[in-house]
Amino acid sequence: MLADIIRLDLRLRRRSTIGYAAGMAIYALVVVALYPSFKNQTSLDSLSGSTAAALFGVTGKLTSSGGWLNANIYSNFFPLIMLALTIGYGATSLAGQDESGTLALVVALPMRRRAILFQKLFAMAIQALVLAAATTVCAVIGQGFQLTVPTGDLSAIALALMLMGLDFGLVSMAIGAATGRRGTALGIASALAAASYLISTLATTIPRIGPGRYLSLFYWSVGNDQIAKGVSLADFIVLVIVGFCALLTALIAFRRADLN
Amino acid sequence: MRAAIETTGLTKAYGSVTAVSDLSLRIDPGQVFGFLGPNGAGKSTTIRMLMTLQRPTSGRAALLGMDSATDSVEIHRRTGYLPGDLELFPRLTGRQHIAWFARSRGGVDDSFVRDLLERFLVVADRPVRELSKGNRQKIGLILACMHKPELLILDEPSAGLDPLMHHEFESLLRETAAEGRTVFLSSHELDEVQRTADRIAIIRAGKVVAEDTVEGLRRAAPQKMEVRFRHPVNPAALRAVSGVRVTESAGRRIALDVTGEIGPVLKVIARHDPIDLTSRPADLDELFLDFYRTSPAKETTHAG
Repeated sequence: MLADIIRLDLRLRRRSTIGYAAGMAIYALVVVALYPSFKNQTSLDSLSGSTAAALFGVTGKLTSSGGWLNANIYSNFFPLIMLALTIGYGATSLAGQDESGTLALVVALPMRRRAILFQKLFAMAIQALVLAAATTVCAVIGQGFQLTVPTGDLSAIALALMLMGLDFGLVSMAIGAATGRRGTALGIASALAAASYLISTLATTIPRIGPGRYLSLFYWSVGNDQIAKGVSLADFIVLVIVGFCALLTALIAFRRADLN
Repeated sequence: MRAAIETTGLTKAYGSVTAVSDLSLRIDPGQVFGFLGPNGAGKSTTIRMLMTLQRPTSGRAALLGMDSATDSVEIHRRTGYLPGDLELFPRLTGRQHIAWFARSRGGVDDSFVRDLLERFLVVADRPVRELSKGNRQKIGLILACMHKPELLILDEPSAGLDPLMHHEFESLLRETAAEGRTVFLSSHELDEVQRTADRIAIIRAGKVVAEDTVEGLRRAAPQKMEVRFRHPVNPAALRAVSGVRVTESAGRRIALDVTGEIGPVLKVIARHDPIDLTSRPADLDELFLDFYRTSPAKETTHAG
């Protein structure tokens, strides 16, 4: 039936989904609760501007609301956890289950492979949504700790990061479907995500890398100071198109895949 | 009559390695068909192609009259499958597995599932990671059977089952066939297959080397002959006779496999002063081992 694989995979991933979301929520609460203590320490603002700071995603005024959230949540930890979740699930959901031998039972059910893959995409989106929602709720609580970024902007940036997570998750799924190896899927998708992060962060201080940032999905989700400027329609369009291409690749690879 | 399974020139190659080569089989409905071969002979690869888990390099397979390349959803609806080296979801219990697969198939007859659980004495309420191989296998069998499919495809189904469960499993197979449904099962154990199967195909290095009924295979088996002579005899004289294979030669004692008429070989033996001769038909085990050992070129197919 329609949602059976979604239910199954969410059940199998229940612990990790709750773990990721709870961990991220607690971290985000600590970060927003600490803001009032750092808000007036303007000496911190001098931290940004260096390449080392950029590497950790620190850009702009650290003591501003947006700068604080960006430096501590949105440009590093949140995407990191999001990517761990989506790339991990992407690699496990096809290649991992094939390696462990359980996918054969599922594929032998009266269901098209396309339908199986769509359900797995949905399951991934739900896991990502739980993480994004938990983080956003905690960031919004920050408005009670003198943080002034509006709820709409926080939600939009969480949505953009969720889309970026799904993009890399789909890349991981596609590589897994094409190679049948979970390790390869994890490795390549993580390497692409790491490269994407580096390009986007270093582009802010190293001019030579500048033009390369357009190739980075981080640039289209958090790297272009979206926390202050808001997420643009162009950002969303790029993230959706990339996801669509990865989905198409995954569908083709999975349709052709020899399973165990 | 429409075949339950019909394959034509089914071939699977991984790069330069051919796992299954030009496999053509026809299995009638209501049969238990045994697919026999040593590990690595290509049994599981064939089954994966039948179940459309893998795509053939060439050739085609039709199940229940439907093309496996285009009608996989309908084939899967009417087929039950037990993978070789079955793996279940470790954290889920047997009952959770059964509930999930039953729901995915749009519901099954609960009383039949209860029957199966009782018959096979399944431990259904513990996570499968805590269960023995045999218990997991029983859950896999229930998942394959519970929707009463027209065609059951079982890859090494009795792996890990104890003798009592073997017996129960064999009667389940007989009941299935008696209802006009078809069973295709692979095994590397002759014993099990000859007790349950109506017909057998023996596969070796990706090729079917024999296909027949159990009785037919028995009839085709060579005579095992052992002769003692008064003086040492050069076995070359016996080897020269067509249909004769010298299996052992120790001076005055020679063992032979004789296929076909025994007249010519008896004449040769008589010339060498024999003092004792025993002859008996090879049992199926020996025949089976023979098929495994001899070159794939020696192919025989007998009408059933």
